Amino acid sequence: MTKRIRSKIARGSGELAILSLLAEQQLYGFEIARQIGERTAGALKFTLASLYPLLYDMEKKGWVEGRWQANQAGRDRRYYRLTPSGRKQLAPLKEEWRNFFQALNTLAGVSHA
Amino acid sequence: MPDWKSLVRERLEPHQPLAHREEVVAELAAHLEECYAQARSEGLPDHAAVELTLKQVEDWQVLATEIVRTKSEEDSMKTTSHRTKTVLLPTIAILFAFGLVLLFLDRAAILQRIIWMACTALLFCVVASEANRLNLRTRSVWLPGFVTLTAASLLMFAEEIVLIHDPSFYFTDLSLRPGHLISGLPRWFYIGWLMGQVLCGALGAFLSRRGGGTRAARLVAGAFPALVMFLLCGLVIPLSALFEHNTFALSHPSRLALGILIWAAVPAVALLLGAAPFLRSTTSGTAAL
Repeated sequence: MTKRIRSKIARGSGELAILSLLAEQQLYGFEIARQIGERTAGALKFTLASLYPLLYDMEKKGWVEGRWQANQAGRDRRYYRLTPSGRKQLAPLKEEWRNFFQALNTLAGVSHA
Repeated sequence: MPDWKSLVRERLEPHQPLAHREEVVAELAAHLEECYAQARSEGLPDHAAVELTLKQVEDWQVLATEIVRTKSEEDSMKTTSHRTKTVLLPTIAILFAFGLVLLFLDRAAILQRIIWMACTALLFCVVASEANRLNLRTRSVWLPGFVTLTAASLLMFAEEIVLIHDPSFYFTDLSLRPGHLISGLPRWFYIGWLMGQVLCGALGAFLSRRGGGTRAARLVAGAFPALVMFLLCGLVIPLSALFEHNTFALSHPSRLALGILIWAAVPAVALLLGAAPFLRSTTSGTAAL
């Protein structure tokens, strides 16, 4: 698998993970990375370097919207929430990934959880 | 504990555009600060926590480049969209409304031509600069549709200038007043205009496809001038009967049907003929990565 394809897969899965999380609640960057790591038992990990370019890109596309507000500890954090356009992306993205895993499963007996 | 803001600012400084620098620095520094606090809460000593936190970014230059790319594109998008929303689209709307008023009043035919030409030029500016930035429906239906409508109207005006020396006949025909509906048109005028509609339909469907339009959107954009004509017939005739007491069209249904056939139905077929090559899907159904 080439680096380019790996990068596309990582990006696509990252977008889906972030959209799915933000569909539940608004979160700031560190919380997004923490929750993704926790919920996937470390299978998906976001570092600062991988998270923010993706978040800014999704913001540029109008899928998410960032807004500064204080967190529970009173510190200013940039919270991201899903926009109506981002919500619309979620179902087709899920479908694409379902098809992708089905195709892999058919080919190599790899199934998703 | 390091001053995370200074650290981020220092490492992004040579690359980060000024407009967003402080906001990005604050956000990234906050992230690092949380990573550090988490590492400390897990019992790591200060230097180990700092070391672990700094592993969040392997290459600051790559990160800076990525952020600059995203943020500068976002900036340019906001600037252009702002110009389109506050200058181009309102100007088009005002000109279009003014042109429609003149059209219905049968006044200032020359000024109307200038207005439609200005609308077309402005619409092309919008389409060229905003096609990928407006929402899907606007860029795949409304903009291509209005470009097609204006192109179809311009074609008629151009033919009028070349072939007809009585510039009033087009508007009086549209108003469906007694005596005007039956006014004759040179055969070549109509045939030439009809052939032009094929090109207009192609233009609308092409622009819609380029804007990511579905097959239905391409159909609507391609046939937009005919749809407007159907709508105008549905509006003008009852309004004319109501306010001008002009019941000519209603009391002569065969002539009304002929008018609709000539100015809406047949052009619709010509427009769809032009749009047809652009209705085929260009993407495969495989899952995108």
